[in-house]
Amino acid sequence: MTGLYTRWAIMVGGLLLLAMMTFQQYQRDLSTLSLATVVTRPASSEPVRIQGMVKSGTLSGDTEQGQATFELIDGPTTLPVEYAGPPLENIRELKTMVLIGQLDPATKTFKAKDTALINNFGFVAAAYLLTVMSICWALFAMSQRVMVLFKEIKDEKLYEPEIDPLGHNK
Amino acid sequence: MLNRFIRYIQRYKGWFGGAAAICIFLGLYTGLLASPPDYYQGELVRIMYVHVPLAHTSTLAYSVLFFGSIWYLWKRDPLVDNMCQASAGICALFTGLALITGSIWAKPTWNTWWTWDPRLVSFSVLLLILGGYLMLRKLVDDRERGGRYAAILAIVGGIDLPIIKFSVEWWRTLHQPMSFSTRGVAISDDILVPLTLMSLGAWLLFAYMVMVRTQILYLTDLLQAKKGRLFSQTHFSQPTP
Repeated sequence: MTGLYTRWAIMVGGLLLLAMMTFQQYQRDLSTLSLATVVTRPASSEPVRIQGMVKSGTLSGDTEQGQATFELIDGPTTLPVEYAGPPLENIRELKTMVLIGQLDPATKTFKAKDTALINNFGFVAAAYLLTVMSICWALFAMSQRVMVLFKEIKDEKLYEPEIDPLGHNK
Repeated sequence: MLNRFIRYIQRYKGWFGGAAAICIFLGLYTGLLASPPDYYQGELVRIMYVHVPLAHTSTLAYSVLFFGSIWYLWKRDPLVDNMCQASAGICALFTGLALITGSIWAKPTWNTWWTWDPRLVSFSVLLLILGGYLMLRKLVDDRERGGRYAAILAIVGGIDLPIIKFSVEWWRTLHQPMSFSTRGVAISDDILVPLTLMSLGAWLLFAYMVMVRTQILYLTDLLQAKKGRLFSQTHFSQPTP
């Protein structure tokens, strides 16, 4: 049984390492901050990702030239945004967007330089977790069953030449 | 011949398991970390790296069950029967997971968990056939008869395989058309690498799981036969009063 558990410990360790690396990449490249968090957190020079809905009636500027100003709503928080970057092809009012940029602490305006896709990583995580856990469970149960069967055969001495248990052939 | 092949390949079971683990680990690494998001699907393309190999492997598993069943009806080899039963169980697991991961992908992409699409329906029918096969194995007490009936069901159910394969060409469907065909490969290299690794890993994993499951069925039969023989010896050697 020790060999089985050692193999499984290595596999589970490898999978956990992979999960941690994926989570780090998610935090670094995909996760978005809420508007309330961006407004209240201390000023930082690092660009951040925020997600919110473009408030109706606030969108102005030349979006095809990559210049726009609008307000972003996320729950009760509203944040003015000044966008200067690649052309905004799909922007419209009441659309949920992910913006990359920094908050200007003096004017409390978010200076956005780029947009990103709304990440649906929860679906990806669900699909992977379900698949990996189901297959690992099936594999572990099968490996353990083989061990149990071998042990049962060994314990019952069924591989030994069959003798009359009541000793009538003696 | 098939019996000897199964016995021979069983010796290398561990190699299949090891190779599957390496391929799947590399596939998970490239799929989750090293490959870029897709232009249209974004991060959701990563679900394809588990969904597509699961779906491919379940059709491969059913093909093994189909040809194994033909062989069993012809030769009545109990080892091939065990292999068929093992394939059916694992095929059901892979088919179920392929349907669920496809559904998870469909929700943010098609805005629905399920739609009556020919590919989805024909794949669900495969799961129903496998459910029927496994129930038949459980419900019929006579092992020989159960094996025979189940083999016939598996062969009749084989009609679903070409329907699954060509459903995206025969009917108007939401599902993506075939990516690998005589017209070439319609997948970019960024996606092809993790997909190939995961597919290879899933095939090797299926081979490994079939070998382990066949071994379980063989050992269970052996244990029961030995116990039965001991029991009958004890029973028949009782001194008559």
